[in-house]
Amino acid sequence: MNTVLQTKGLCKTYIVNKRQNNVLKNVDLTIYEGEMVAIMGPSGSGKSTLLYCASGMDKVTAGEVIFDGKNISKLRNKAMSRVRLDDMGFIFQQMYMMKNLSILDNIILPAVKSKKNKESRKASAERGRALMKRLGIDDVSTNDINEVSGGQLQRACICRSMINSPKIIFADEPTGSLNRSSSDEVMEELLSLNGDGTTIMCVTHDPKVAAKCSRVLYLVDGNIVGEKEMGHYDKSSGDIRSRERELNNWLMEQGW
Amino acid sequence: MFWRILKKDLKRKKTMNVIILLFVIICSTFASASINNIVAVTNGVDHFYEISNVPDIEVNMNEGSEAYNRVAAEPSVTEIKKLDLLMIMSSKSFSLHGEKLDTFINPAYLMSDEDMIMNFFDEDNKKITEVEKGKFYSTTVFLDGLDIKKGDEVTIKVENTEITLEYAGYFKGAMLPTSMGSSPYLLINREDYRYLDASPDMHIYDDVVSTDIFFIKTDDLPAVMDILEDYSDVSTYTPEEAKTMYLLDMVTAYILMIVSILLMITAFVVLRFTTGFTISEEFREIGVMKAVGITNPSIRRLYIVKYFAIAIVGAIIGFLISIPLANYMLKTISMNLVLEGGDTTYIGFISTVFVVAIIMLFCYNSTSKIKKLSPIDAVRNGQTGERFKKKSVMHLSRSRGSSTGFLAMNDVASAPKRYIMITVIIALGMLMTSIMASWSRTLRDDKLHPLFSIVESDATIMDTETMGDVIIEDDGYITVLDDIEQRLEDNGMPARVAVTMINSTDATYEGEHLNVLAEFQEGHFDNTFSYDEGTAPSKPDEIAVTSSVMKMLDVDIGDTLSIKLGDEYRSFIITGKYSSFASPGVRFCDHFDLTDVPKNGCMGIQVKFTDDLTQKQLSDNIEKLKDLFDTNKIYSTSEFISLNTGIGDTLESLRVLTLILTVMVTAMVVVLMERSFISREKSEIALMKAVGISNFSIIAQHTIRFVITAVAASFLSFLAVKPLSEFGMNLVCSMIGDVSSVECTYNTVEMYLLQPAILIAATIISAFLTATYTRTIKASDTASIE
Repeated sequence: MNTVLQTKGLCKTYIVNKRQNNVLKNVDLTIYEGEMVAIMGPSGSGKSTLLYCASGMDKVTAGEVIFDGKNISKLRNKAMSRVRLDDMGFIFQQMYMMKNLSILDNIILPAVKSKKNKESRKASAERGRALMKRLGIDDVSTNDINEVSGGQLQRACICRSMINSPKIIFADEPTGSLNRSSSDEVMEELLSLNGDGTTIMCVTHDPKVAAKCSRVLYLVDGNIVGEKEMGHYDKSSGDIRSRERELNNWLMEQGW
Repeated sequence: MFWRILKKDLKRKKTMNVIILLFVIICSTFASASINNIVAVTNGVDHFYEISNVPDIEVNMNEGSEAYNRVAAEPSVTEIKKLDLLMIMSSKSFSLHGEKLDTFINPAYLMSDEDMIMNFFDEDNKKITEVEKGKFYSTTVFLDGLDIKKGDEVTIKVENTEITLEYAGYFKGAMLPTSMGSSPYLLINREDYRYLDASPDMHIYDDVVSTDIFFIKTDDLPAVMDILEDYSDVSTYTPEEAKTMYLLDMVTAYILMIVSILLMITAFVVLRFTTGFTISEEFREIGVMKAVGITNPSIRRLYIVKYFAIAIVGAIIGFLISIPLANYMLKTISMNLVLEGGDTTYIGFISTVFVVAIIMLFCYNSTSKIKKLSPIDAVRNGQTGERFKKKSVMHLSRSRGSSTGFLAMNDVASAPKRYIMITVIIALGMLMTSIMASWSRTLRDDKLHPLFSIVESDATIMDTETMGDVIIEDDGYITVLDDIEQRLEDNGMPARVAVTMINSTDATYEGEHLNVLAEFQEGHFDNTFSYDEGTAPSKPDEIAVTSSVMKMLDVDIGDTLSIKLGDEYRSFIITGKYSSFASPGVRFCDHFDLTDVPKNGCMGIQVKFTDDLTQKQLSDNIEKLKDLFDTNKIYSTSEFISLNTGIGDTLESLRVLTLILTVMVTAMVVVLMERSFISREKSEIALMKAVGISNFSIIAQHTIRFVITAVAASFLSFLAVKPLSEFGMNLVCSMIGDVSSVECTYNTVEMYLLQPAILIAATIISAFLTATYTRTIKASDTASIE
């Protein structure tokens, strides 16, 4: 399997009130193509920080981040933006969108900004609509963001993360602010994407979400203290309960 | 608790608070200084006239004449004082440091300290009781263009009579003219005066005219005026008329007051905007406060206390700055009148308190939004408490061109109220600057020549001696003009010359009388005057009149008016209506026969070179004319207009000041607004960065939004500048004379290119620099945004 993302000795330190706070301590991590990796851990363990550092959204204090074979930790802002725009997708807990744009325009904005596809705006819009159709939200394409439900909005965010066909999607608590049914719908979409070969790195608190991932990493005080191979989740096999049970047992062993 | 909240807030929104503070400082400085000035001058004039013991009317007539005898017999007249004056026609009769003066245009008047018919005051506002022998005081008009200091000796020489007097300083006299270009007055010792008055030289030559002015006190001014109206050769001047000469001194103050009002409006709009922003950002805190039972007024106080602190600090600083500014503004006018004793700083202080009160009222009103929120509303409403009311109005998928430009345009279209407000603020600034520019240009433009009753020409000779020759030589003025033409021809400057004679006389219609200024265009080329209504008078029995003649005598085109010319009344048909500052005015046909018609004065001698000259050759010819006539008082038409309007230069200075202020205010508004936008759009900026949109693209988007408003403001200003300039100009001109339909002059490059370019550049620079603050927002901030 090809490596998509790798961190070597990744450290992140914040200085708060003249006090040093080491959030990530020499984190070594490898994510392979087609994987769906869940990052779990107690609050304040550094999960989101790891995701932001790995995606280049935040600067690392020390160590390296190798993405698609290139060290991106030393890239300048402009180059890093280009990498994020063309090859990475992002889904956040809050469904952040530009409030002055319609849902469809929000989705195609990264495509319009990217030089990757060299396509017309019309073509981008067509692709956006196709993605929306796939995620079952094509009827709200011209709506404002305040005119749709949280689940629809999060699916729109997934469409946006997919618009430039990224090599990896970073998801930070993607179901964190959704109710159970919306959460299940969103996870279905993420699994479907992963099934199509998209690599996903997902920070979550929810064992039900993590149970659907192929691998789970457990972070405590900035260190990866445990790693569990879950294998590819096949919805048709109906083994989700056993996967959840197995994961919960493992998490309890980790001190969850 | 207030102090803690205030301290925290001031720290958190430093830039925004500093800008609001600057607004308050500018507002209170201008408001305080301008109101102080206006009140001080208005009160000062009344006070000055009161302590000067001015008469009820000043009359220029001959002692023992019928008019004099009738006034003296009028029962309401309590006192008639006679002021003897020696009128010296030319400034060249004076010399300083051995050099003849070529400064003032109108005749100078010498007064004796024996004849001080009212109170005069020296530089230190002390009443002058007598003038030391061998010394003299002068009005400030005498000092214009003169490098003179106390102790310098001035020699007055008329033929063989000569006297040397030492300058003792300037003096202030109510009802004495103060505007530059008017007649200077010199107050001398009675013995010196008698010495001059006794010399035959002072009475037999044209250089000196002895004249009498009577100062009359009466209990019934209308009755005296009724008598004097019967005499066309009598001129009158009342204290109320005299007081209007100080209006010009207050123009700067009035303009500054308008500027300060506009600034205040801007400051209020900005305050309302920022208060609204702050409240919408802090919905959650407000909700929590409401939930725990804190009352609306208490929550409002928390916000108001900050603006109160800023308003107080700003007002104190503004007030302190206004003191030297007010003093500076009063400096010129205090040379001409004795301002009321005591400190007028309290007026500035009251204005400052007023500014603070208005700001606080406005702030209180701006926080009314708090009242409308329920605790549930505030806590539930979105991540930052904002409600998404706006709809996306444009579609990226259907757009063309740069996506950054689209985003900027879409932002503007999505929040029109917000950007219209900024547009209007910038447009107001542009308008102020453009209007000031067009006014200052118009008031120096030679196309105004008909309003000053002079024909279109290349130069005007204002030399007192030459003008005197034209007036005094009775009907020989044609010979004088011929001589001038010959002199010009002999000196390689072939030209035609003309003159506009002025005669103050009586016009009557159906028993109603009116003292009018009759003007006669004489000389060797015709005028090109245009008429507001009707046609130009072309026959000897035709005239045109100004609007006030029509109004006061209730006449119209086609009516026949009787006008006294010399000793007889003659009838004239009105053929047209014209605009003029010399009003109420009557214009006769060109080359009207002036035999036996008295002439009170002329508006200089106009010269029109017959060769087709370049601007440079024209300037050279004017210089040659100065040598030829041994005077500096040769003006191009635009210089003549500027000299007569007298305010073009002041407006030009104010235009520069307004432009600087507009640039400053625009920059401050842009910085403040952009900082507010960044603060409000922090989550969106972080999101854009997270999805990979570059810093430059975000900065460009934010900058373009302001460029759009600045361009819109330019268009708005382009549309409004002409009607507003002309409305204002005509309003002011109609107050001064019978003037309507003045077309303002515009410098197209300056108005449509340079000024907008300066303001758009200021907008771009301030928006760009402020937008760079978005760099501090990181993609990872998406995680920490509430």
